[in-house]
Order: sequence, then structure tokens, then C-alpha cells
Amino acid sequence: MGGGVAMLDYNNDGLLDLFFVNGGHIGGTKFDSEFDRDDPKYWNRLYRQNRDGSFTDVTAEAGLRHAGNGNYGMGVAVADYDNDGYPDLYVTSFGHNVLYHNNGNGTFTDVTAKAGVEAGGWSASAGFFDFDNDGKLDLFVTRYMQWSLATSKPCARQTYCPPGEFPAVTNILYRNRGDGTFEDVSLKSGIASKKGRSLGVAFSDYDGDGFADIFVANDGMEQFLWHNNGNGTFSERALDAGVALSDDGNPFAGMGVDFRDYDNDGRPDIIVTNLAKQTYALYHNDGNGRFSYRSLESGLGALTAGSSGWGVGLVDFDNDGWKDLFVAQGHVMDNVEQIDASLHYREQPLLALNHGGRFVKADSGESAALAGRGAAFGDLNNNGLMDVVIGVLNDKPVILKNRNANGAHWLGIRLQGVRSNRDGLGSIVIVNGQRQDAQTAGSYQSANDKRIHFGLGDKSSADIEIRWPSGVTQRLKNIAAGQYLDVKEAAQ
Amino acid sequence: MTAFLALGLLFQTVSPDAAEHAKAALAAKQRGDIKQAIIEFRKVTELAPDLAAGYINLGAALLEHHQYADAIAPLKKALSLNHSLAAAEQMLGYALLSAGYTNEALPHLEKNGDAGALGIAQVKLGRFPEAIRNLNAALEKHPNDPELLYYLGRASGLLSKQAFDVLESSFPNSAEAHQSLAENYVALRKLPEAEREYQAAVKARPDLPGLHLAMGEMYLEVPDLAKAESEFRAETQLEPGDAESSYRLGDVLLREGKIKEAAAELTRADALRPDMPETLYALAKAQSLTGDAAGAEKNWKRVIELEAHSDLAAQSHFSLAGLYRKQGKQAEAAREMSEYESLKHGPPSVQ
Repeated sequence: MGGGVAMLDYNNDGLLDLFFVNGGHIGGTKFDSEFDRDDPKYWNRLYRQNRDGSFTDVTAEAGLRHAGNGNYGMGVAVADYDNDGYPDLYVTSFGHNVLYHNNGNGTFTDVTAKAGVEAGGWSASAGFFDFDNDGKLDLFVTRYMQWSLATSKPCARQTYCPPGEFPAVTNILYRNRGDGTFEDVSLKSGIASKKGRSLGVAFSDYDGDGFADIFVANDGMEQFLWHNNGNGTFSERALDAGVALSDDGNPFAGMGVDFRDYDNDGRPDIIVTNLAKQTYALYHNDGNGRFSYRSLESGLGALTAGSSGWGVGLVDFDNDGWKDLFVAQGHVMDNVEQIDASLHYREQPLLALNHGGRFVKADSGESAALAGRGAAFGDLNNNGLMDVVIGVLNDKPVILKNRNANGAHWLGIRLQGVRSNRDGLGSIVIVNGQRQDAQTAGSYQSANDKRIHFGLGDKSSADIEIRWPSGVTQRLKNIAAGQYLDVKEAAQ
Repeated sequence: MTAFLALGLLFQTVSPDAAEHAKAALAAKQRGDIKQAIIEFRKVTELAPDLAAGYINLGAALLEHHQYADAIAPLKKALSLNHSLAAAEQMLGYALLSAGYTNEALPHLEKNGDAGALGIAQVKLGRFPEAIRNLNAALEKHPNDPELLYYLGRASGLLSKQAFDVLESSFPNSAEAHQSLAENYVALRKLPEAEREYQAAVKARPDLPGLHLAMGEMYLEVPDLAKAESEFRAETQLEPGDAESSYRLGDVLLREGKIKEAAAELTRADALRPDMPETLYALAKAQSLTGDAAGAEKNWKRVIELEAHSDLAAQSHFSLAGLYRKQGKQAEAAREMSEYESLKHGPPSVQ
């Protein structure tokens, strides 16, 4: 279930580095395992990118070798939660989660106990966002189910029991107090009022009320759409909004999620990956708080009906101004071929290019079948083309460098919040009519490049509008394409 | 199945001792003590060895106690004493059948006219066509008998297998033999093997009705929607009047996002066979996606009229709720969601 990946520039040298979450040692008899992490092969790994595009393993020197015995690693969230200019890491696990503060000198310190964010149980994805627009990044943690080695059970012919065999659990919302500590506000915010079997999470202000909302992908049950009421509380509106179920009213195995505007109508849409024979769910934001199921019209029915998807991103890979689709794929059960020969534990990743709102399969560049899980998106070599890193179960990760050569223009934006959180997460950026939401969360248990990328097609310049979470709106005119632009939040 | 003959009249013709045991046997039977009834009936047969009724009642008690093999001897003795005892004939047939002596049971079952038991015996003897005829006749009288339903299903399946075995061994290169093998592979989820056999069948007889439909259904399992579409299209060309293949083509077009084509094909399927709920549901979905809200509403409502409690009805309520929400009809949407919830999860708890 693990396989989280992060793209972050931990040393602010302008090059994206990579962080991978590892699992843990599973003992000879599965059910008395302590998920030992001392052996280096079970460490999480941080790779620093070198100037020549190669990577150096800096896990030990960065102080990240101790993942904590008993913590079977799952996912990772990245953001500068203390606004000191350096990205921090939050690693989720079955066991306890760990918050690593970036010391700004190439090392990290485990500050979990002080921060009060260890969670417990089985955490999956996590993400930083500023739900109360106070300039301090808060933390949302999804949890999968109430499970333990002692209460685990086998199911006939299957590697794993379906999630419905185990009790659902609540997700956790931590409010950032701004002093290095967090308050668990799951109860008073309403987040704990519903139990789920949650995996992916993504944030966006879907109804334009100025507050970031939360979409949670649930496995085998209704999905959650937590509407931010703007007063510290959330209301779950997935069913009313039309994003809880498939178009036939059936639940599905929600795993990865992205919450972005795929059809350039200015409103963020939602895509949720799920299991083979369910079809990835694409919900189009119709405005007025309602969504329509668009998997069929968008072509996802034909592209995804036979696949199981995890990490997912709506990213403009060919810089034509339309966000394309990438999905890390592979069935959940490693013996699925024995049960149904039409299903596959290892699958090629899916790349589908967006042709005006309809997705058409393209060559992802990865011909091997993988047990893909986490996927992170970012521009590894700062050439304006978005790359992908995939976390693979029991195998090496895969880096897919974008070789697009159509010459289309692009623009990257690095936000620096002042009144807003320093990363500018939650900002809505409009460039030549396209919308991007600043967020590192999304996909599956992974964290993306925090920079905001736009494909401009044949336009060599751009007009930019930035709506910061503080309420400030900033406009920039006639900005040249082909650069990463630093934008600091204006005073007013 | 068992019948106890009244011994009252016979009390006058047997010894007082035998009459006493007969009374005791009937009393034991009446209070449900079958074991004691068996002991008492056995004494009656010992004290009145020429009394057929004694043996019949003993046999009946043994049958009721599930001692089928033990019941055979007294029932045979009863029949040897009186050939015209229909009840003994019937019970002997049951006893022999239940104890596994099916061949021997058959003439007794044929005489007594119980089509169900006769059908079961014929299934066991591999006489499937006769078995199916008799079991169907029995089911007309007892339509909800699970034993009869089971044996009818078994007989039909075995007869089908027998026919396919003959087909495959006698005409191994025929299109039908390849199709039969392909269907077996599909059932075993061996889809590459199934595809190979289907292709061999098509090569042998490209115009065999139903072949492309079956292939299309196999490709839906993969799922490979483009290939499924191609096969369903081939089938509709071969059999333009077949509603099933028209529906399948429309449905796969819908899944592929070819909405307008899907709506047209599903409309054709609906005309070929009106009121097929699956067609109406898919047509409504296509209509909704093409902006024909009135058509969608009409057809989803029709699905609900046709099958009020099925999954398709639940899906139709859910879809109607979505349609009404888009139209701003909140009350109607809430009503449809409530119906959907009720069908999916049962009525709301009163607690």
C-alpha cells in the first residue's frame, strides 16, 4: 500500500531532490512482525540532485536514517510549515508518523513529539494546506482503516481481504499554532464526524469562497468532499455535490486523487483513480457546488476500464495549455493473475494527452510493467517540461524525463507568501486563462514540486493573476515565457 | 412421502397381542417418537407375519427415520404379500432411490406416477432428456421445491455438457466446437485461450450468428472496449434485427464516450425490443449526456416502473437525483436520493 514519493528542493539550490518512503521488515511469520527499520534497506531515502542531473544518497547525512521501528512507511507530505524558507517533511506510516523539520543546513530534525503530529494507527496520505488562511500551514492526514497484525485475517483465494472487512476510521486535521506545535482539531472542525477508509487527499477551493476544501479518496465506499465553512469547521458534501459515487451510484476503490482544472473553465475538477473494471472517476466542476461525472465523455472509460491506478496528476506535459493525465498503475493484489488472468499486478503507467477535454493515450516512455504506487510531478532539470517520478513496490523507482520537443512555450512560477503561508499554498494562479492551484499534495501518498507550471502553447508571454490565500490579488502583465518567475506576495 | 396405514380395522383380524403393539406403535408415532414406533411395528410384523399393513407401516416409519436401506426389506415383503399396494410401491421406490439402488428403484417409481422422484432417478442414471421432462412436470405442481429445481438445473447442465462433448469430439474443427471451447475458457477466465478459439471459429464460419456477440462480451471482460465495439458491430451487421447485440454495441459506445453514436444505437435497440431495462437505463444515460434531459427522465422512470427493486432501479433513482439537482429541483432530487438509499441500504432505521 506504500510507495510515497516527494519532489522537493530541500537545500534551496534550485534543483529538485527526491525523497522515497520505504516500508519495513516483515518477519518470517507475517503476523508477529515488528516492522524493523534498522537495516539500511528499510530506511526512507533522500537523494540530492547534483548539477549534472545525477543524484547522491544523502539520507544519513541529512539525519533521516531513523524511520522508527514499528513504522511501516506509507507516504510523504512536503511544505514549509514554519515559514523559515526550507521545505519540511512529514512521513506517514502504519505505526507513527514523523515530522522532520528542515534545519536549513542540509539536515533534518525529528520534531514529531514537540509538534504533536504522530497520529497513530494506519496513516496513508497527508498534505499541508492553510484551512483558516492565517498564514500558517495546517496538516491533513488520511487514515486507511482500523487494522493490526493481531486482528488481521485471511480471505479465501485472496492476498488481502477487501477493506470492508475492517472498521473505518477518522482522518485527522492538525491546526498549526505557529509556534512549532499543532492542535488536533479533527473533532471541533467536524472532520472526525465521518469515518472512512481513506487513501488519497487533495485540496482546492472548489466553490470560490476563498477557503480551501478537501477531497478524500476512500477505498470501497463513498468519497468525501469536505467543504470549508470558513469558520474552522467543515461539512461533508460529496453526495450532494455529485462526487461520492460513480455515475451509477456505486462506490469504488478510491486511491489517488488530483484536484485541478482539466478543461480550462476556471474551476477545479477532480480525478480519482481506482481498481480495474471501475473506470477512473473524473468529476467536472459545474459551478454552484455541483460536479458531473465525465469519465465517459473524456475518454477515460476506454483508457482506464482495465487498469488499477494510484498516483495521479493532471499536468501539462506537452505545454499546449491543456493539463494531461498521468497515472502510476498496477493491481493491488500480487496474485491477481491467478484469480483473473485479465488483471495485472504490474502495469505500464498511463499517459494520456488532453485534447480539449478529451484524453487520448500517448507513449509514457516506460514500456515495462510496474507495480506503480506513488507518483510525484515536477521539473527535474528546469527545462520547462514536467517530469515524473514513480514509487514502485519491491523495485527501483522510475524517473521519467520529459523529452517533449514541440517547442511550445511555458512559464513556471515560484510563489513566496508574506501574509499568506510562505509557500503560497492555496493560491489560485491564472495564466492566460488557465488556472492552477498551488499545492504540493495530491496524487497518492506523494508530494509534488511546489512550483506552478503552465504550458503556454504558441504564446511567448503571459498575463498572470495570483489570488493569495490572504485575499490579496496580484496581477502581472506581459511576462516573458520560458522562465521560472519568483513572485512575492504584494502588501495589498 | 411416508404414509401410515390405519390399522384400526385390522385390529379385529389379528391377535390381541399384535393389536396392542399396533396401538402402541400408532400412539408413539402420534407423539413423534418414531424410534419407539419402529420397535412396535416390528413386533406387529413378528406377531402377524402375513399382515402386509404391518410391513408397510414399519417401512414407512423407517423411511421417516431416514433408515432408507432398512426400509427396503419390509416394503418388499409388503408387496410380496399384496401386489396391489400402491403406497408400498411408492415407498419402496423412494427407499431404493435414497439408498443408491437407482436402477432397481426406477420401475417402482415409474409405476407410482411421482414425476419428481422419477426425474431425480433419471438424472442419476444419465437419462437427461427424460429427466428434464419429468422434473419440469413436477415443478409445475411444486414450483418452489428446491430439490426439484436443483436436479432440473443439474440435468440441464449435464445434458448441455453431453451435447458439447459430442460436438467437440465428433466435429472438432467446426466453428461451433471452437466456440464451445472458447466459452469454456471464458468461464475459466483464460481469455487469451478463449480469444484463440473464437478466432478459429470465426475463420471457420465468419457468419455464424452469435459468435461476434460472444467475442464482444469476452473483450468486455478484458476489458478492451475498441475490440468489443468491433465485434458487436459485426454482430449487428449479421443480425440487424437482434436487440441484444444492438444494446451491447450501444452500451460499449457509451463506455467509450461516443455518446451520440451510443444514443442512436440504443434507440434502435429499444425499438427492436421495447422495455428492456438495461437498454432503457443506458439510453437514458446517453440522453442525459447529450442534453436530452426529458428523454433521460422518461427512460429512467420507465426502468423503475419495470423493476422497482433491482440494482438498475436504484441506479435509476440515483441518476434521476443527479438530473433533478442540475435542474434545481431539490425536492425531487432529495426524493430520488431517498429512494436510492432505501434500495441500496434498506429503509432508514427507526432507532
